[in-house]
Amino acid sequence: MVKRIKVGMASCGIAAGAGEVKEKMIEMNPDAEIVEVGCIGHCHAEPLVEIETEDGSYFYQEVEPEEEFINKMLNLEDYSRFESPANREKKEKLYVTELAGKINPISIEEYEENDGYSALKKALEMEPAQIVDEVKTSGLRGRGGGGFPTGLKWSFLADKDEKDKVLICNADEGDPGAFMDRSTMESIPHQLLEGMLIGAYATGANRMFIYCRAEYPLAVKNLNIAIKQLEEAGYNNLNGEDVKITVKEGAGAFVCGEETALIHSLEGKRGTPRFRPPYPTDYGYKGRPSMINNVETLANIPLIIRDGGEKYSQIGTENSTGTKLFALAGDLEYSGLVEVPMGITIGEVVYDIGGAEEGSVKAVQIGGPSGGCIPEEHFDTPIDYDSLTELGAIMGSGGLIVINKGRCMVETARYFLEFTTKESCGKCTFCRIGTKRMLETLERITGGEGSHEDVQLLSDLGDKIIKGSLCGLGQTAPKPVLSTLNFFKNEYMAHVDEGYCAAMECTALVDVYLDQETCIECGQCIKVCPVDAISDDFVVDNEICTRCNSCIEVCPVDAISRVKREEE
Amino acid sequence: MPDLKELGKNKSNLIKALQKRQELEGYISDKDIEEISEAFSMAPVEVEGVVSFYTQFKRIAPGKYKIAVCDGTACHIKGSSLVLNWITDELGIEDGETDEDGIFSMDAVACLGCCSLAPVISINGKVYGNLTRKKLLKILNDYRQKEEADNG
Amino acid sequence: MSEIKITIDGQELLANPGQTVLEVAKEHKIDIPTLCHDNRVGINTSCFVCIVKDENTGNWLPSCSNPVQDGMNITASGHEVDDMRQTALNLLLSEHSGDCEAPCTIACPAHAKVEEYVRAGREGDHLLALDIIKQRIPLPISIGRVCPRFCEKDCRRNVKEDAVAINDFKRLAADLHYEEYMEDMKELKDEKVAIIGAGPAGLATAYFLRIEGIGSVLFDRMPEPGGMLRYGIPEYRLPKDLLDKELDHFNKMGGIEFKCNQELGKDIELSDLKEEYDAVVVAVGSWKSSSMRTEGEELAYDGIEYLEEIAHDGWKAKRDPGETLVVGGGNTAMDCVRTSLRLTDKKVSCLYRRTEKEMPAEQIEIDEAREEGCDFQFLTQPISLREKDNGRLVLECIKMELGEPDASGRRRPIPIEGSEFEIEADTVIAAIGQKTIAPEDVPTNQWGDVDVNENNCQADQSVFAAGDCVSGPATVVEAVAGGRRAALGIKAYLAGEEYNPEYQINVSRGYWQSLNEDELIYLKEPEQKERVEQSLIELSERISTFKEVSYTFTEEEIAQEGERCFECSCTAKTDCKLKEHSEEFGADPEHFKDNIKMDHSYNIEHPQIIMDPGKCIKCGICIKICNEVVNEYLLGFKNRGYETKIGTAFGEPLPVSCEECGECIEACPVGALDWKIKKLEEMN
Repeated sequence: MVKRIKVGMASCGIAAGAGEVKEKMIEMNPDAEIVEVGCIGHCHAEPLVEIETEDGSYFYQEVEPEEEFINKMLNLEDYSRFESPANREKKEKLYVTELAGKINPISIEEYEENDGYSALKKALEMEPAQIVDEVKTSGLRGRGGGGFPTGLKWSFLADKDEKDKVLICNADEGDPGAFMDRSTMESIPHQLLEGMLIGAYATGANRMFIYCRAEYPLAVKNLNIAIKQLEEAGYNNLNGEDVKITVKEGAGAFVCGEETALIHSLEGKRGTPRFRPPYPTDYGYKGRPSMINNVETLANIPLIIRDGGEKYSQIGTENSTGTKLFALAGDLEYSGLVEVPMGITIGEVVYDIGGAEEGSVKAVQIGGPSGGCIPEEHFDTPIDYDSLTELGAIMGSGGLIVINKGRCMVETARYFLEFTTKESCGKCTFCRIGTKRMLETLERITGGEGSHEDVQLLSDLGDKIIKGSLCGLGQTAPKPVLSTLNFFKNEYMAHVDEGYCAAMECTALVDVYLDQETCIECGQCIKVCPVDAISDDFVVDNEICTRCNSCIEVCPVDAISRVKREEE
Repeated sequence: MPDLKELGKNKSNLIKALQKRQELEGYISDKDIEEISEAFSMAPVEVEGVVSFYTQFKRIAPGKYKIAVCDGTACHIKGSSLVLNWITDELGIEDGETDEDGIFSMDAVACLGCCSLAPVISINGKVYGNLTRKKLLKILNDYRQKEEADNG
Repeated sequence: MSEIKITIDGQELLANPGQTVLEVAKEHKIDIPTLCHDNRVGINTSCFVCIVKDENTGNWLPSCSNPVQDGMNITASGHEVDDMRQTALNLLLSEHSGDCEAPCTIACPAHAKVEEYVRAGREGDHLLALDIIKQRIPLPISIGRVCPRFCEKDCRRNVKEDAVAINDFKRLAADLHYEEYMEDMKELKDEKVAIIGAGPAGLATAYFLRIEGIGSVLFDRMPEPGGMLRYGIPEYRLPKDLLDKELDHFNKMGGIEFKCNQELGKDIELSDLKEEYDAVVVAVGSWKSSSMRTEGEELAYDGIEYLEEIAHDGWKAKRDPGETLVVGGGNTAMDCVRTSLRLTDKKVSCLYRRTEKEMPAEQIEIDEAREEGCDFQFLTQPISLREKDNGRLVLECIKMELGEPDASGRRRPIPIEGSEFEIEADTVIAAIGQKTIAPEDVPTNQWGDVDVNENNCQADQSVFAAGDCVSGPATVVEAVAGGRRAALGIKAYLAGEEYNPEYQINVSRGYWQSLNEDELIYLKEPEQKERVEQSLIELSERISTFKEVSYTFTEEEIAQEGERCFECSCTAKTDCKLKEHSEEFGADPEHFKDNIKMDHSYNIEHPQIIMDPGKCIKCGICIKICNEVVNEYLLGFKNRGYETKIGTAFGEPLPVSCEECGECIEACPVGALDWKIKKLEEMN
């Protein structure tokens, strides 16, 4: 018997049409218990529906809002069933995200039924210094990308002998392609809040903020509801005082993920960083000692208190304990949110979990615009903070993009640098002007006008920008360029020496070619071309063609392809 | 919901006040800046500086249907720059612009967080994923027809 | 307060906690450059020119913001630090749109302070104008008449109407005040220099040596000094009585001697001069005509020989050349043409193998020659010359057409087969170019010119060289510039020092053709004003006498012309910290070049103050000064990243009351905020 129906209604689910599915089910079966849950992690298969029965759960994928489909589902038929790929189940460890996609995010009761807030209760029985020790023992490191030992950071704030201290959760998640924090906030907001409350108690903070980017309205909504719920339950009463938690929205600035810039933004100012020292723990929000932790870091805290720091540290590796959430995307079968134990190799994530085709992958990009690429030959590298840094990449916040052999690494680097250049706050010389000059140089190269001096300039200037920038944005912006230069210099040189983009991505180096032999003259391409670049006798005029790909997509016999541009 | 006067007592509410104002009108005008500066006892140039720093704040009126084109990494790999071009070709507007009739406006945004559905756009918050040119044109046409129907 | 020890560049220093590295350095007279630092306001941490290296951590830090810690080991100088500073400055220069110096001053081969003497002329202070001019141009009477006006070619006023008539400012100032003006000179020392050639290069060398207190003797093979000024440039362009007046000043200066009718190799030897004098300057010019490479060319006159002979005649009509053909397209050819037009009533033609567009002569010379009756035959090349029995000359020519460009960038002329024809004439003059005949024992280059070090003009030990004999045939002003360089080179040589010209940079908005009206700085809105036309004598007089063709501008006309000047140079050029530090660390405005879209916008709505955001380095000092010192809040940062600007609310002009304050202007390290009105220079 169907107990209840859960519909994955995080942003991905909604985008895939889960809202319509839910509406249709309500229409057909108004008495059924239909619950919206958060992100189940298998974004590629949305909309996902879980039918709970006495005998267990049945999962359905790519559910459509029509009668026949839904009937089959409610009859528990073997139709469009979803099975988590076996490899993925073996390799993943759903530890922090155990409850994500299982419970209604905004039901404090459901959270409590699943042991929610028991860690907080346990913590309140401990001394604040004990809690800090547990966190130190756990070996937890900052999940926002910095990898700084969390316990140590907490001790800095705890040691400050001042009454007004601030704990800030950094939910700005500015890396394009990263959605770990979004998933967490949408799916298990109470777990994050519990972690924050434990943190406030341990460090003596009496004011808390969650700085969440404005582009996450569902996360903001769920957090605000959850906060109301926990306040009503009295959970925010620590040491007899009510700690206030406020969600403040960012306004579209990647640089505000940097600690001092975030603080300035919280204060209502332009989000530019400032020099440190003084560190935020000495002088932070409105001058008060402040500490900033990432969403994922804080979501780990209840588990550390529940299981104990020692047990927690058994997961992962010696210097990188616990698990890490990754937003897996790119050229692979199973994109979505994954949680893996530290120490798992890149290859396991890419092939076993992501289902990428063996032999098809060129590299992964880890750490977004602050990170670097790691080529296929290093896929046996374990994912931990130090191993990745050695290769010139960083753990980052968890964005992991799989890049197949058909992609241009130079264009990838250019894309990331374009992002950081746009997001630079503009305060310091090396970042403001340096990244722009680097971007122009890269554009010369992808535009077919690059020279050997340009390649050398990228290396020299990139190195200086890393050294001479005020904050982490500038200090890491050149990394995608430098790491692709390190591992894929041949692609740069091919662009420069031969005007050749092997991946056929750089439009200035690519022509569109229609093979007359294969062509069946159906005329679809001529119809679909937005700039009339294809003549009636099926010749493509590359002077007019904008390389939009429409004709290539529409050709039924694959007669049209991108080829190397011929020099005059 | 606290009003502007209330918010103005604490400078750290400035961004919130600006966000609330933009929710009403879809953008922030010079007059808005003057009014908000007054409420916060700040110099207009300082408030203008905050407005112009953050990408969220628009200074020109957006279209009735605001198209956000995701240019995050996953979408970029799946061809978001093509999507931008298709929209420009079809509607005649570039990134950050509104069309002449005020119906459509387009902005490239950092990341909508729906990477598995790349490439993705959202129109007035509604997300459309797995775009091809054909799909996109149909979506735009649907909105156009809706607009005509609304206007009789 | 407990003291802490830090080390800067190996020096152990005591410091107080709370001080920054920069503060400690300053206290101990260790010089660290800054741009965004101002003692009166909070730190900006923006320019990073003050960057230093922390040897303990390996990190690079802005010394203006970094608090000292006990045991800190800082490197604030040396190659690595200088390299980082140079990069920061190169980056700042790459987004810096402006003109340090006005394009006219840069274009002038002698780098006279053109904008400054134009300003003086506009204000009616022609004595001051002359003083400024003579700092670089000791022959203003001549140059004010014959210069091809490099300055005017680059003048930004070309964007609106025509260039300002800059050269005429020199002419008026010289005509008015040359005789009465005496410059400051150092006391004469014992050293003496021999100068071979009393043309513009030699004269300029003598002049600048004398300013430095070094006397000279000018040797010249001609009966009178002046070189090309007397024996090449015709009377109607440069009257010789004016030239005498100009050269007489050299006698008045003292320490300068002229010895004419002394030819090198006949009357004097280089080896003797080397022995007798502390230095020798070769300034013999380029007096050898180039060959036409045609059969029978010995029947033709050499262009400069022709002019020289007439010069010896005193530029009077002592001969009639009859029907004359001049072959060539340069200024010498035009001189020959126009001289012949004055000497004969018969036809005078000019043959040139390319078209008018490619002629190297000054356009004004070509136009005036045409007005005076010259018949130009373009795309015509001589093949051979022969004499008929009656003494008439027959020049066989062939028509040409233009093909692909050659090495000079000009289209190569190609003979059209079968188009040969003949022209008859009484006189044929070949004026197709000149070459240098360098003295023996002097190093030469592949073109036969004297080979010198381009910095100090040294050829070989105590032998220096300047003028046409170094550059090949060029202009008077270029010869004068060369003479000054030689003088400075000799001064260093005699003092036993190395001549190291200071490294200087110049930021430029670009050539006027690449700019439009909105991109030029107007310190005041300009009215539409056509250029004052130069008055000329009657045409009938022109073709029958050698009277000077053009009149000097009047004072009113010069004042009017002065109003047309945009005053392009940066108002802060003498106290710009970006320029200062860039020159100190060898930064180069062109380092990150290539297609950078520059911001040329500016705001001059305030009556006294100019806001030039293209020059802004985003240091933020002005904002803080207005806010923290003046207690106003008129300026702020806007936008983000590379698009960051500093401006007023909604881009409105600054209030008029700002001119009473001017604090931000004084504090601005560059010219982004400055007073509009430039002051007149002071007399030297």
